[in-house]
Amino acid sequence: MSSRDNILQRIRTELRKAPAPEQPPVPEVWPRMNPSSEQLVEQFTTALEQVDGEVIRCGSMEEARRKVTELAEQLDAKPVGAVDCPACRDLLSDFPADRVAWTRDGWDPKQMAQLPAGLVAAELLLADTGTCVVVNDTAEQRLMCYLPPVCLVVARVDRLFEHMPAAWEEIARRTAEPQQRGEFVFITGPSRTADIEKILILGVHGPRRLMVILVG
Amino acid sequence: MNSENLHLEGASFLKQQNEGLYEPAGSKATGEAAVRSTDKNRVITGAIPYWQDWREQARDIKRHAVANLDKLLVEFERNIAARGATVLWAETAEEANRMVIDIAREHDVRSVVKGKSMVTEEMELNRSLQAAGIRTVETDLGEYIVQLAKQRPTHIVTPALHLSAEEVGRLFHEKLDEPFTSEHQQLTDIARRHLREEFISADMGMSGCNFAIADTGTMAIVENEGNVGLSTSTPPIHVATIGIEKVIPSIHYLPVFLQLLARVGTGQSLTSYTHLIHGTTPGKKLYIILLDNGRTRILRDPAAHNALTCIRCGMCLNVCPVYRRAGGWAYGWVYPGPIGSIISPHLVGMKQAGTLPFASSLCGACSEVCPVKIDIPHQLVHLRHRAVCEPSPANSILDRLTWRAWAWAMSGPRRYKLAMWAVRVGVRAAGVIPQCLHVDKLRAWTRGRELPKVPGPAFRKWWKRQRP
Repeated sequence: MSSRDNILQRIRTELRKAPAPEQPPVPEVWPRMNPSSEQLVEQFTTALEQVDGEVIRCGSMEEARRKVTELAEQLDAKPVGAVDCPACRDLLSDFPADRVAWTRDGWDPKQMAQLPAGLVAAELLLADTGTCVVVNDTAEQRLMCYLPPVCLVVARVDRLFEHMPAAWEEIARRTAEPQQRGEFVFITGPSRTADIEKILILGVHGPRRLMVILVG
Repeated sequence: MNSENLHLEGASFLKQQNEGLYEPAGSKATGEAAVRSTDKNRVITGAIPYWQDWREQARDIKRHAVANLDKLLVEFERNIAARGATVLWAETAEEANRMVIDIAREHDVRSVVKGKSMVTEEMELNRSLQAAGIRTVETDLGEYIVQLAKQRPTHIVTPALHLSAEEVGRLFHEKLDEPFTSEHQQLTDIARRHLREEFISADMGMSGCNFAIADTGTMAIVENEGNVGLSTSTPPIHVATIGIEKVIPSIHYLPVFLQLLARVGTGQSLTSYTHLIHGTTPGKKLYIILLDNGRTRILRDPAAHNALTCIRCGMCLNVCPVYRRAGGWAYGWVYPGPIGSIISPHLVGMKQAGTLPFASSLCGACSEVCPVKIDIPHQLVHLRHRAVCEPSPANSILDRLTWRAWAWAMSGPRRYKLAMWAVRVGVRAAGVIPQCLHVDKLRAWTRGRELPKVPGPAFRKWWKRQRP
């Protein structure tokens, strides 16, 4: 018998003795308040700032393009790293080709670690916690979230949900798709630690700064 | 697995506990941090009107999961294997270590970066890998510090809680050849610099798992530093070790746990990173090791099943008056605090850890805060009962003789009188005999406490005088 069989056999033998409780209902967790999109933006901004993230609000894509160009200048990001996806392509469409380093298969993590900033796109945002939900299908996309010292996230205002339970239907559906690989990462503020004397320090392994470019 | 290997080297529970109690400098940091965490937790949870509902819901879901463990594990295995993961099952820590070494050898791995995982602490994985000639680096800052200091974590969420910034600075100076500093930011920067190199050059990354979700085949892992993200995406191989009790039935149940865990674990509404990992990414390999290592022994005892519902948030440690004074090492094994006292006796056996359930005042603070409402004081009493019925240090010949003598003395007035006389003489004598000559068990008590003064005449003598 394999270890698998042994473990399962032991579990089955022991559980036969205990009565099985009924399957509990799915908790509602937070009630739905359906706030307006302006309220959501405000909530999101407050929550993200509380965890030391920054929000760059842009009314239109043109404005976002302009602001990200300025930002790249400020950060002296030559080039900016970016995930090769439609949202990031759109945002960086004004950038000269040599100023952007797109994710591509087999990218060396050592090179990625040298990038001054990395741009990723969030598929959903949670307003109550200031969270960006980023879907990463490849290791390079994942590394773009964690390796550069500044993490830029582009997201659309209409993808704001009031809280995790409100967004969960979509998240649950997408994680259940059999072809789904890689990870969904919920990013709530920059990398942080309080491991030495419980004093909060930002940017221990991941980015020191998290900036969300909120468009719409 | 020879459970003797698992114990902290040379640390019998009682001795460690006494040392913790005896060295206020050592436990002060732990105690203060624990008090701060508790206060913070009270404010956070008090502000949420649904908090008690969430606890009950989480408890019911975890109990349901334990009652269906076999089906859920098979479902999880099937679903994550369908997404490209290789799932392995290990009965013991030894077997799991062997699996990790085999994977490492197969892929010619020389160095491993690790995210925080209590299961790998339980396996003593680092020691096994080292013995096999494979370099392992803990990448959680607290774990990294503890590993450099060649120590053990004192807390399951904040492993280096017992060390001051100055001590960390000295350690980095000594081991990493860095100029001394006690600045938190600089210390963190030093660790970042050194660990960056490790991430980039590692051949394999390891992680634990907070929730293994059966219906989608997803692993949910929470962290703050980004080291789990890096450990699981930089190297070409990711190995996740998961205790079999970590499985939950459905992705739909996850939000309530995520709401609870970060708030009790670290006082955040969500941790900086919550990863939902489903399967491999192109060009990478993912191995899952499902570990029993004594967990099915807990199933054998129906009264103990709730101990398997723990989500390892560490809150019961922070509120525990014993943990606050004694610190994490006092418990003699990887899981300290109240939760350690109720799972270690099952996992390493009563013979090793039979005294742990007695190291509690049964005040109940732990079950007040437990996010999955584990009845820890009841579990402790249940284990005390078992400890005196089964072979354990609480059931030694000395203990048995003591209780038999007590029963004998209590079952007749003359015997009682004789016993009381013996006690008065004994206490007086112990006060006169120098402490260093006290027998071990007595000294454990008298080292930190004064002997009570023997009061004037005994009650019976006094009573007689009242009615001549």
